[in-house]
Amino acid sequence: MSLFGRFGKGPQDDATTDARRAEWEQALSHGSLPGFVKTRLAETMSCKRPWVSTASPAGLLAQRSHGIRPLGLVSGNCWFHYGYSWTRGHYEGWHTAIDRLRLEAALMGANAVVDITMQTKRMAGAGNEDHMDYAVLGTAVRMDALPESTNPALATVSALEFARLLESGIVPVGVAIGAHFNWFVATGYAAGMAPSYWNQELSGLSTFLTQVRRQALQELRDDGVRLGTGVLAHTQHSELYRIEPDENNPYPRFLARHIALGTAVIHDTRSRKPFGVRPVLNVRDTALLAATDNTKEVL
Amino acid sequence: MSDVTGDLPQHAVERLKGLRDTSRHGGIFTSDFSVNEFLMVGEAGFEPLGLVVGSCIYHTGIQYAGWAKNQEMSVLSQAMYEARELAMSRMEQEAQSLSADGVVGVRLEVKRMDWDKDILEFLAVGTAIAHSKGHPGFKGPAGKPFTSDLSGQDFWMLLQSGYRPLALVMGSCVYHVAHQSMMQSLGNLGRNVEMPLFTQAMYDARELAMERMQQEAQESGAEGVVAVQLHEGSHNWQPHVIEFFAIGTAVKPIEDAAVIPERLVPQIVIPVND
Repeated sequence: MSLFGRFGKGPQDDATTDARRAEWEQALSHGSLPGFVKTRLAETMSCKRPWVSTASPAGLLAQRSHGIRPLGLVSGNCWFHYGYSWTRGHYEGWHTAIDRLRLEAALMGANAVVDITMQTKRMAGAGNEDHMDYAVLGTAVRMDALPESTNPALATVSALEFARLLESGIVPVGVAIGAHFNWFVATGYAAGMAPSYWNQELSGLSTFLTQVRRQALQELRDDGVRLGTGVLAHTQHSELYRIEPDENNPYPRFLARHIALGTAVIHDTRSRKPFGVRPVLNVRDTALLAATDNTKEVL
Repeated sequence: MSDVTGDLPQHAVERLKGLRDTSRHGGIFTSDFSVNEFLMVGEAGFEPLGLVVGSCIYHTGIQYAGWAKNQEMSVLSQAMYEARELAMSRMEQEAQSLSADGVVGVRLEVKRMDWDKDILEFLAVGTAIAHSKGHPGFKGPAGKPFTSDLSGQDFWMLLQSGYRPLALVMGSCVYHVAHQSMMQSLGNLGRNVEMPLFTQAMYDARELAMERMQQEAQESGAEGVVAVQLHEGSHNWQPHVIEFFAIGTAVKPIEDAAVIPERLVPQIVIPVND
């Protein structure tokens, strides 16, 4: 219960709260971090404070065998209001959060951040539909296989998988994002407005949706080109809405969105080493796994 | 073992005695280990002694936050921390009465009571284990049993990588996120902008929780913290009140060369069927 002293004096302790708030405001608006965060990062880097890692002990072992030293947790977030463009909102929200995480990692002297998880949060209640928080959290590490850098490589994969990619000559470098949305006005038959009794493709709508998806993937590619030579897109999400006619819009409209996120990598197919596949029988059957799974419902 | 049984009720003492005394003569242990966990804990040179529990029913105090203000709800932060700590220390006390070296597979749960939203139950439960050959080098801080939420497999793995667990460390922060004023909300209409007050609240709350966990690890004399999880939730509080909760196992390198297991060279396995 040694922690109690550190909670301050409760709600009365306004001076500290206000000072802290001012520091956050000052720092975030200038693309920097408050002094107390910088201190924590610096002291963690110099081993004055314990290192912190999201890796399991198995990951820790592999990290040691592959020359990966955990440093600490780094994070960033951005609560974004998307007034005119959901797409830009997603793009900017994630990118701002990632930039902040990168800043923390650089201050910690990391040359990579692994196991980056992405989380969104909305505020409950009416009138809160048009804004949300984009948050990223990862483990900053020092990787012997990577050169010193003030611009750490970012990866959504764990340190183990990172090491596996490195072994095959593939270097994860960052997180690429592609997002696109568009409107489609259904003026007639093509969007399935006319009643019909035969099988037919709603070709207008399918062309539209295909275009939105392709554009998002094109943007993922464009974002990836700036970072590396490939993108392993492991998260994709799309939505299609129909909005009924009103006095300004005589026809029904459709809104489609697509978002794709992934780890950008640098690789050279010529230097790719075959690693040989050895069949292994895994005796961990699913039922047993489920029983072993230590899912902790801490909250 | 009798020197630490002070506060435990008679029936608990008797249950614990039964577990420990008979465990070496074909007697009985209790555990919620899976088969794999049981085998791996044995492989690590430890044996289970018994399930140990601690719980705490806690009434959280009331605190009001300024409507338009970002601030920590320190009364709630303290409540969430103290209640977990009480449950944990009661579980530790049971483990100590068993002369256990530590507790693995600790689950820390929070339940809300139906009849009153201000009452929460905190439960800590895990399996107390002891080194089969009575090696003294595995105790946690201050000679008490170590605690860890790692599974049996992870415990074995941790020892293989040259570390031993010290303590389950945690940091909690309950935070009130400022409401936007009507003017701010109108100003945002139709615009793509960051909402700095909300961003700052999430940032600050997360930072406080992580820092507190790290601080606790430092106090236990750890070199690092593994398997850290950061949870974010709201326990039926009003929409603008959130909790960040960081939890992980503080670890320390194994000092005694005699027990350092042979180093494993991990083999990376890629499942080809998923």
